[in-house]
Amino acid sequence: MGHRLKVAIFSGVIPSSTFIERLINGLALSDDIEVQMFGMLQSKTQYGKQIKVFGYRNNKWSKLILLLKYTVLLTLFKRKAKNKLDQLLKSENRLTLLNRLKFYPVLWHQPHIFHLQWAKGLKDWIWVRDFDMKLVLSLRGTQINQSPVADKELANDYKSLFPHVDAFHSVSKDIAEQAQKYAAKKENIKVIYSGIEPMTLQKSQKKESNVLKIISVGRPHWVKGYTYALDACKLLKDKSFNFEYTIIGASKNIELAYQIQDLGLQDCVKLFDTMPFEKVQQAICNSDLFLLPSLNEGLANVVLESMMHKTLVLTTDCGGMSEVVSESINGFIVPIRDSKAMSEKILEISILSEAERKKLTENAFTTVREQHNTKQMINGMLQLYKELHDAK
Amino acid sequence: MMPNSKTTSQTIGIVLSTVPRYSETFFRNKIKGLQENGFDVVLFVDYVEEGDLDFPCTVIASANYNSSRLKSLSNITKALFKSIFSHPKTSIRFLRLERKDGLSLKNSLRNTIVNEFLLRKKIDWLHFGFGMLSSNRENIAQAIAAQMAVSFRGFDLYLSPLKHKGCYQRLFLKEVKYHVLSHEMKTDLKAQGIQSENIIVIPPAINVDFFQSDGNVKKEASIQLVTVARLHWKKGLEYTLEAIRLLKDSNIDFHYTIIGEGSEYERLQFATHQLNVQDHVTFTGKLPQTEVKKYLESSHIYLQYSIQEGFCNSVLEAQAMGLLCIVSNAEGLSENVLDQKTGWVVPKRQPELLAQKVQEVIRLNPQEKRAIKEVAIKRVREEFNLEQQNEAFFKFYNR
Repeated sequence: MGHRLKVAIFSGVIPSSTFIERLINGLALSDDIEVQMFGMLQSKTQYGKQIKVFGYRNNKWSKLILLLKYTVLLTLFKRKAKNKLDQLLKSENRLTLLNRLKFYPVLWHQPHIFHLQWAKGLKDWIWVRDFDMKLVLSLRGTQINQSPVADKELANDYKSLFPHVDAFHSVSKDIAEQAQKYAAKKENIKVIYSGIEPMTLQKSQKKESNVLKIISVGRPHWVKGYTYALDACKLLKDKSFNFEYTIIGASKNIELAYQIQDLGLQDCVKLFDTMPFEKVQQAICNSDLFLLPSLNEGLANVVLESMMHKTLVLTTDCGGMSEVVSESINGFIVPIRDSKAMSEKILEISILSEAERKKLTENAFTTVREQHNTKQMINGMLQLYKELHDAK
Repeated sequence: MMPNSKTTSQTIGIVLSTVPRYSETFFRNKIKGLQENGFDVVLFVDYVEEGDLDFPCTVIASANYNSSRLKSLSNITKALFKSIFSHPKTSIRFLRLERKDGLSLKNSLRNTIVNEFLLRKKIDWLHFGFGMLSSNRENIAQAIAAQMAVSFRGFDLYLSPLKHKGCYQRLFLKEVKYHVLSHEMKTDLKAQGIQSENIIVIPPAINVDFFQSDGNVKKEASIQLVTVARLHWKKGLEYTLEAIRLLKDSNIDFHYTIIGEGSEYERLQFATHQLNVQDHVTFTGKLPQTEVKKYLESSHIYLQYSIQEGFCNSVLEAQAMGLLCIVSNAEGLSENVLDQKTGWVVPKRQPELLAQKVQEVIRLNPQEKRAIKEVAIKRVREEFNLEQQNEAFFKFYNR
């Protein structure tokens, strides 16, 4: 390639969530790529030279200046393209100031690849294909395998738009399959597993005798299946099993608080507020078992992190989880919506010997190191971009 | 026989968030009943919407203190002015009582201003329609020399304190007459240190003339199950859908209809698909009462497998319509339906037990089904009618 490949990573906000930032910073290490970022600046950012930020702050002046700047630039030097986009937006009745603010910078900088991180934004951004940009869409959990189930209009939008997307990045094989239900072409989907940064933490030495410390991490959304985990806790308590279950990120949720009180679990279940990343990692590291009771997931990063910290993992068989966790080899799997199976498996796990635990957690560590390192993620993405660009 | 209305001319102030909508039959019926019994009723609400002032009693709305800064400031000034010049004695009395409760001067003043609309009127009773509405208003009744009453309806007694820790701490120390929907709620309120004689159980009532089957509608051949509920987690619909899955596995010919709308729609639709029962389940959304009645009329079994429930009017309506009712044992439900007598009560959060019970009920012979229905209809008509409720409230204020 004679010039650098310009790739826009778009999530709507700058900076994005942890895993998208990891991708951005990883890509920027490659000499062949210039990463461009558009959208609303939420906080101060410190990116390297390779990353160009064309965002606006959430205030009138910042928006006005950006809009003026790109309106002038486009009018003077890319009038044809501007007129074409304006016409298109007008015909769809969405030539609003906000849309111009969002779209003009992208039209001006015209990256080779526009990589959209969330499927719900597809309707907004499908126009980039008419301006010599390739459109890549990431398929991540909820927006593919949950939202369109109840939202028929969204499902129809996907069905009409997915055939026009140039390439898909899927976080798991399962999501790749789900997307095909909405007319995504199989040959356009590439599964690239998320990569996580290695991190070594010291496990706490203090081991309280025979209390199994179980932990879950995540917002208190129904899809996380905590109600099933609490029903399992009730079954464990009825068997006088000695355990302590912590959910980080679920405090202030009335449904869970009521269930804990209703089932008399106050002494063995604790809900905590969200915590900084490092604290969460330490808490996972200090637990005996990480529990993912979810009804649905793309591929839960917290499970990967637990495996990296050599904490045993018990997950439900949802989304792409079985692509990472293999029963009794590097962790444990139970069916979704099955509190009884969950409680029985926890009892089974509690009587593992130290040697068995060690073997399982070492295997888990190896899985994550080999399948979910940042390098394979970045290489996978680079390859996807380059192939798409070269296929012109 | 209704008590003689001429002997009473008390004024009851009822505090609600908004003027009751047409579907909120409880408060509408209650207010109508009180007026028929000779009471004057004043309704205090947080805000009014268009058309609310046509409501057939005096409506006093709070000023808006959360709008633009200028508007709020103007409302604060007005309230302050009224507090000082229109009813200075009650304002000062309230302020003192707040201070006596240990509130800072700032908070006491704030409460005096935002509650100005409650301090204006001379009334005999100040009745808060929900527990949470009495928060920071615990001293109003004493300040205006009225008696204080609070209704607990389920959510406010069991769930609000989980979100707002200690929200009834001040209330429970005051002299208050409580109205609850069930004996279970009374027991739970007593556990908070409230004297038994201050807690009156008045269960909800329904319009038994409207909710009665004329027997002309032909029921479907396959078993029709139905629930009328807001799509809220406390209604236990996810557990119900799991039971539905078990019923499907046992090859029963049935269909389940959920009537209602709410925040958990996506969760329940997702469950329906994940449990692969979408062909056996219909979500109708919210329907007008006449439509609800039609659905009930053409159905066989009513399910109310709630996680938390004060009492539940829908179950009364279903019983009155002659449906076989299977409910959970959440709080007031086991008083609403008497197990084995007017329906069946199943322990909550256990879908296998619910599925088993549905199958048992389906297998009952027609005589057994009829016997349960008849007792249920009779009991609802006799014990949960509006006249009964009106009389109970008459006594509540006159006891």
